[in-house]
Amino acid sequence: MTEALIVRGLDKTFTKPAVMDLDLTVHAGELYALLGPNGAGKTTTLRMVAGLTKPDKGEISIFGIDARADPGAAKAITAWAPDEAMVYDRLTPLEYLEFVAGLWNVEPKAAKARAEELLAKLGLAGEARTRCEGFSRGMKQKVALAGALIHDPKLLILDEPLTGLDAAAARLVKDMLQERVDAGGTVILTTHILEVAERMADRIGIIAGGRLLAEGTLEALRAKAGEGKGGSTLEDVFLELTAAPETQTGGAAA
Amino acid sequence: MTLFAPGSTLWLLGHEMRLYWRNFRAGRAGRGARGLISLVIVAAMLVGGGVLAALGLHDVQVPINPISISLAALATAVVFTLMLSQTLSASSEALYDRNDLDLLFSSPIGPSKVLFVRSLGVAGGVLTIFALIVTPLLLPSVIWGHPGWIGVFGVLGALALASTAAGLLLAMALFALIGPRRTRTVAQVLAALVGAAFFLVSQIRTILGAQKSNSLFMEIERQAQEGRLHPPPILGLPLRAMLGEPLPLLAILAGSAILFAVAAAALGRRFSDAAAATQGKTAARPAKATRADARRAFAAGPFLATLRKELLLISRDAALMSQVLLRVLYLIPTALVLSRNAAHGAGPALAGGAGVVAFLAGQVAGSLAWITLSAEDAPDLLAVSPARIQTLRRAKLTAAMIPVGLFLIVPIAALSWFQPSAGVWTALGAILAAWSSGLINIWHQRPGKRSDFKRRGGASWMATIAEMLVSALLAGATGVAVAGLWAWALIPLGLAGAALLSLRRSDVQIARNLRTR
Repeated sequence: MTEALIVRGLDKTFTKPAVMDLDLTVHAGELYALLGPNGAGKTTTLRMVAGLTKPDKGEISIFGIDARADPGAAKAITAWAPDEAMVYDRLTPLEYLEFVAGLWNVEPKAAKARAEELLAKLGLAGEARTRCEGFSRGMKQKVALAGALIHDPKLLILDEPLTGLDAAAARLVKDMLQERVDAGGTVILTTHILEVAERMADRIGIIAGGRLLAEGTLEALRAKAGEGKGGSTLEDVFLELTAAPETQTGGAAA
Repeated sequence: MTLFAPGSTLWLLGHEMRLYWRNFRAGRAGRGARGLISLVIVAAMLVGGGVLAALGLHDVQVPINPISISLAALATAVVFTLMLSQTLSASSEALYDRNDLDLLFSSPIGPSKVLFVRSLGVAGGVLTIFALIVTPLLLPSVIWGHPGWIGVFGVLGALALASTAAGLLLAMALFALIGPRRTRTVAQVLAALVGAAFFLVSQIRTILGAQKSNSLFMEIERQAQEGRLHPPPILGLPLRAMLGEPLPLLAILAGSAILFAVAAAALGRRFSDAAAATQGKTAARPAKATRADARRAFAAGPFLATLRKELLLISRDAALMSQVLLRVLYLIPTALVLSRNAAHGAGPALAGGAGVVAFLAGQVAGSLAWITLSAEDAPDLLAVSPARIQTLRRAKLTAAMIPVGLFLIVPIAALSWFQPSAGVWTALGAILAAWSSGLINIWHQRPGKRSDFKRRGGASWMATIAEMLVSALLAGATGVAVAGLWAWALIPLGLAGAALLSLRRSDVQIARNLRTR
């Protein structure tokens, strides 16, 4: 099986360790959900993969490209969309997509057609020539998502992609991600909405304290977590795996 | 915060002051020892000037006569227009600045009280700027020989209140006349015009080409000498207040305070409605797709895409455009004098004018380059893209240079028409000054969100001073070259080169500097 992402021995310390000796493998064509409590190291991990944060140690390979040795080649096939939409208030969605397409050197004619197609798909065709400054958070998120997809990346990295979206927009985004995976694309996302990971992810990684605690399909995680005692939902599995030892003891005592 | 009753005006004022102080401290944080040293040097220069003035003026008594009354009234008018420029801009921005406005207007505190406190903040801000300059210059004289001159601070305070009231009234009038979509832009442009108004009025004779005096001050002096100057008694109030006469000072302060209070009370509800109406209305109207739009191709590659994006952002930044406009307004009389002198072959004035053009080119380029290079709303987007940072920088710098080129075309073309060699030297000097300012802004970036870049004060002190110094040196070289003394031009040129070399940072150093922020 082709690997979209291989991370080995990744370390990052800010004032305290954020990510420690992290190993991660994401197969091509799968949707991988990275779950963890606040401050677990999810965003730091993804920022290192996207080339935004320099790791202290470790290897990152994206579709066989050493991302630390050749960041340009790795970035050319990757897209990153954080929870805070990276858009310019004084540009229209179409102008924004023109800029992003230019950054990734997409052929102008193809980029324009794709921009119009993406905006139509995301329900923003009517706002294509309106500046983003009056947009809601959800609309800006959709513009940013269009930006992430404009160069048709092989690996799409999304940090909390559903934050700020209403139910209809969230459904739209989930459908688009599923479509992408069905078409052979690879998606890595972090989310606090466990239902999303439960329903959509092919595999799930659970991270806490900068370490990957468990990784696998939902069934594999269930087996690893409770072995019968923890319940059957992802929430049960997540709480079981991420609970601190003292909490576990306390919980058991209670 | 428990010192005053919650919800009271003073309690709200305390809250505003705390936020203002914390923002100020946050702005200062990270500037380090170099920023502090620059601040100390500037303060020492001002205090030194103040001490010298105190020594020179110790035995001087200011006469109250038509000349001094007219000059004081004129100075008051100048300060008022400069303050109005600031308060108009701040008042219109206050309508759009969401921060905590929604919270305040949704609370049981009345809108008039909110507006009163917010306006007091605007007045306090503008007063602080002027007081910071005036205090070190004036205080030594106040302490040593002229205690009455403390009235100048009272006049400044009164002007701050009056200009805030006027700025507020103007902003609200604009809002009522042209609506929320255009008020911000028009207010910024108007603020620039008001800021330059006195300068332009004083240069009318220059612009129109009067034969003799080109100065309003000289005109006043001549009229006084000829006994034709009879200012009305009310014009004597500013001077008397500045000299510490209690009644005029009280009259000016009371008049301004009443104007301020009436404006805040009368406009409170309107301001709250207007602020609510601005939500989401800052964008341009949804443009209908024209045939040209539909046909227009996307820009190809990172350089052109970034260049286009930056030019769009510059053209849509009302505050930035007003800064540039202000400098262009200052350039108009200079350009006219330059052309006239070139036509008549007047050497020294021509050289001076050429220097001014080069200096202004450096300054405008600096303002624009600072915005295009440091103000980036989506730095992560650029960082995750495969585009080379050098390509992006080059595009941003080019975007900053294009408007400079556009506003220099007319004066340089006019100059070249009359004196081709002077035109070439001026163009060269302007290009060098603009490019140098751009390079300094590449080497000493202070990245941040575009919305935080409302005024130049956010830039690195060192970069700002270095830019002025290098622009001044290159302006000097340009002037000397235009005067025909090419060999002498090499001295300031060499000094500018040395300054640039000492400021230069490698890509690695720039990256390290950005990481440590």
